[in-house]
Amino acid sequence: MSAAFEPRFSALALVRARMQGAAAWRPLWAKRPLREAYDVVIVGGGGHGLATAYYLAREHRVGRIAVLEKSRIGYGNVGRNTTIVRSNYLLPENHYFYEDSVRRWEGLSRELNFNVMYSPRGVVDLAASDDDMPVLARRGNAMRLAGIDAELMDLHALKRFVPELDLGHRRRFPITGALVQRRGGTVRHDAVVWGYARAASALGVDIIEDCEVTGLEAAGESATALQTSRGRVQAGRIVFATAGHTGMIGSMLGVPLPIETHLLQAMVSEPIKPLLNTVLVYVTPGHGEIYISQSDRGGLVMGGRLDAFPSRTQEGQWYRLEDVVQAGLALLPQMAGVRILRHWAGLNDMTMDGSPIMDRIRYDNVFLNAGWCYGGFKAIPASGAACARFVASGTAPDLVRGFALSRFATGHILDEPGFGPFPVRL
Amino acid sequence: MNPPDTSALRTLACPYCGPRELEEFTFRKTLPPPSSATPYARIYERVDSLTQSLEHWQHLRGCRAWLLVNRNPSSGAVVSVRLLSAAES
Repeated sequence: MSAAFEPRFSALALVRARMQGAAAWRPLWAKRPLREAYDVVIVGGGGHGLATAYYLAREHRVGRIAVLEKSRIGYGNVGRNTTIVRSNYLLPENHYFYEDSVRRWEGLSRELNFNVMYSPRGVVDLAASDDDMPVLARRGNAMRLAGIDAELMDLHALKRFVPELDLGHRRRFPITGALVQRRGGTVRHDAVVWGYARAASALGVDIIEDCEVTGLEAAGESATALQTSRGRVQAGRIVFATAGHTGMIGSMLGVPLPIETHLLQAMVSEPIKPLLNTVLVYVTPGHGEIYISQSDRGGLVMGGRLDAFPSRTQEGQWYRLEDVVQAGLALLPQMAGVRILRHWAGLNDMTMDGSPIMDRIRYDNVFLNAGWCYGGFKAIPASGAACARFVASGTAPDLVRGFALSRFATGHILDEPGFGPFPVRL
Repeated sequence: MNPPDTSALRTLACPYCGPRELEEFTFRKTLPPPSSATPYARIYERVDSLTQSLEHWQHLRGCRAWLLVNRNPSSGAVVSVRLLSAAES
């Protein structure tokens, strides 16, 4: 299927490379100069931009595609997240879409001929009270009706599934059960960048780094060209996939957006021996908020709540970090002696209902792929495929019709947690 | 272990209580663009600017006063903090 990829990875290629030495390994993708004109220009070389380029080239045979990236590919959120993939959503618009993504994750290593290390280790959503259990049951039932795997576990079953979890009587925070999606898990985030970039480049997509978009030219109802730090480039269609800077795109196009930018912190511990083989999620207002998994290298990867006010400083608030660590210690007291190796705060495109936006914006031929909040990573394959289909056909695929920008004005918001027009719980 | 003192935003100066730890305050919402005319725009649209953010905060774990805060979201610098009631009158 992917004969165009060069070099193609296989056991034989590995042996051949061993014989030939290091010279056998070539760069994964080609650095080409920016051309004057393209059929589609994608602004933003993150996961969504690269995936959109790949699916446009592979499934829709679009000829000339460019991905413009302000810094380097993989240097944004796609290289700094907690790598969790899942489709355990309540609302149909969300769970059908994210289930499409999980199905694509399942086959992505084979499709890209690049090991993205999809690890279906199970995502365990913990309940903190008896009242949480019917809420989780409702979500699980909604998922099962949509053909998605979901399993409600009582404490007894949970103890067997996650033996390392502290369920003793003296634990700090209550746990009453869990909703488990076994096909959820983790994916190696950097490999997703490399895999999509390599596959897109092999299909002729130009990936242009150090190329910042500074302006847009239009004639009537169509955009015609982009001004960039590397010169002017004509574009038949334009996709903006610039999470963290979507507000700037809105300003450039003169369209105010229901988006603001918040910080989310994450951290990784020093590598330790295998401790945890699932993804634990404990999101319980008033107790603690944490999600934690162990990477293949052994580091415990942890994240929690947003910093809860708009910021671009990329410096998280210390007290929020403390919340995460305290919740972590309550779940897994055995990690008390483990040290934090690195910690960061990334920019999140927060929409006013917590769901993404995929729609035309301002011009007939300009598309916005934005507002993925803190869940953009798991959406990459489905988002890329749907966005490519949208751009190629001009019609929004059914899977993303609910993500239209107009939903806010018409009242069809996708407010998964149900707390109103704010990006965070107040 | 002391946290590294790198963030520009560690405290807010409440007009009643003086400078207090940020943890005492709760962010409420960002103000919509001044051009917002429709109810939809006032509820949902946001100014997502690199340099200026006008926000409602509340000194929730203190004197509970509602505040109008003008901040630079890129540097974290606080430009001004006023009582919301004083700012509106």
